[in-house]
Amino acid sequence: MQQALPYINLPFTTTSNGGATTTAVEVPKLVAENAVVIFARSGCCMCHVVKLLLHGHGVNPTIFDIDEQNEASVTGELSKIIGIGEAKAAGRPQFPAVFVGGKLFGGLEEVMAAHISGELVPMLRKARALWL
Amino acid sequence: MNFASTQFVPSRRMGICEPLPQIGMWSDYKENNYLDTSTPAILEVDSRFDNQQLRRLAQNREAARKCRLRKKAYVQQLENSKLRLMQLEQELERARQQGLYVGGGLDTGQLGYSRTTNPGIATFEMAYGHWVEEQNKKTADLRNALCSDITDLELSSFVDDGMNHYFDLFLMKETAAKADVFYLMSGMWETSAEHFLSWIGGFRPSELLKVLEPHLGPLTEKQSLELSNLKQSCQQAEDALSQGLERLHQILSETVADGLLGEGNYLPQINAALEKLKAMVRFVGQADHLRKETLLQISRNLNNRQAAQGLLALGEYFQRLRVLSSFWTSRPRESS
Repeated sequence: MQQALPYINLPFTTTSNGGATTTAVEVPKLVAENAVVIFARSGCCMCHVVKLLLHGHGVNPTIFDIDEQNEASVTGELSKIIGIGEAKAAGRPQFPAVFVGGKLFGGLEEVMAAHISGELVPMLRKARALWL
Repeated sequence: MNFASTQFVPSRRMGICEPLPQIGMWSDYKENNYLDTSTPAILEVDSRFDNQQLRRLAQNREAARKCRLRKKAYVQQLENSKLRLMQLEQELERARQQGLYVGGGLDTGQLGYSRTTNPGIATFEMAYGHWVEEQNKKTADLRNALCSDITDLELSSFVDDGMNHYFDLFLMKETAAKADVFYLMSGMWETSAEHFLSWIGGFRPSELLKVLEPHLGPLTEKQSLELSNLKQSCQQAEDALSQGLERLHQILSETVADGLLGEGNYLPQINAALEKLKAMVRFVGQADHLRKETLLQISRNLNNRQAAQGLLALGEYFQRLRVLSSFWTSRPRESS
């Protein structure tokens, strides 16, 4: 199985990891402190696509690896952040899940749609993910 | 001479003439040895020899002539059948390209298996056949509408209708992807030229923009800029998806190859690979989503007339590709 490399978000030094010990607890902090966070299953190719799209805009997202051990707890944490109502409506959060400016932005589809419509850049700028 | 007693009975097997009472084989007539076999019996009586011999010669000639005519007719029939067969094959190919005919000819092989045994795919093929027919109709209607004096409101409903028709296709494909994503990816449902130009199971959005651009009529500066931005965004999105797909190839290959030359039981690897393959369905879905978003974004930047022209250009473009495929399939081959 491929090991996910930890990505370092430029202004912050938090790294992502897939270990079973501390992860779930760190989730809210991660979401709050990083402009763009992607939660994705290990080796997910869709996550790779989102990452590339964001790289294209000069954004280096924090990537959180989800594996079998931490999936349940992470999902729980994310549902809390999203809000119980929304989480219930969606079932469970779909992965990859992209958080921008501390809020759930959506999955690859939402990022793609925003990218095409031109709404992505202003949104990234607002979340201080971009400096230009 | 009275030939009543020597009626020729055409045999059921063409080419063999059986004149009664003499029974001759096809080869006998060709080699003309009939005379030789019958002469010994007749030599004894001179006067009768002449008559009999003459009569038999005449009958022989007659038989041979009729045989030649029958052979000619037979060959003619064969030639006609051959032409008819070629014609039918062409029609079949055309119908198959349009997905109207489920189950193919000689070249479906294993693909024919998946088509005829997968009800989801069979459903899609039929639905797609209808979709193409509808698309051609809508394109023709749109052409007439643009030539006529219709209101902008009416034109906008044409545009909405045209766009929604493409979106319908994406929905159909979504269902088909769940039935058999590789069928979609293989381009079996598209014509050959369309498939040649395709990208992840359908048209490449950035290419579409290039095709459309010259046919939108005069654009404002803002529109030109928006279109230029859109082209770039499309390209970036396509690249990202393509690279993601390459990544999937890599991961799949690694998963399958994990533990080669090992103990023997590789079922875990197969199961792991199965999970990876499911990502294919999502890729096709994302590609179609990109197509949809691109179409929506174009229409946002254009007025109704421009959008209608764009849709018409699109419809015609795909029509031409389908015709190209048809011509390609039915082109005369060199005989080997």
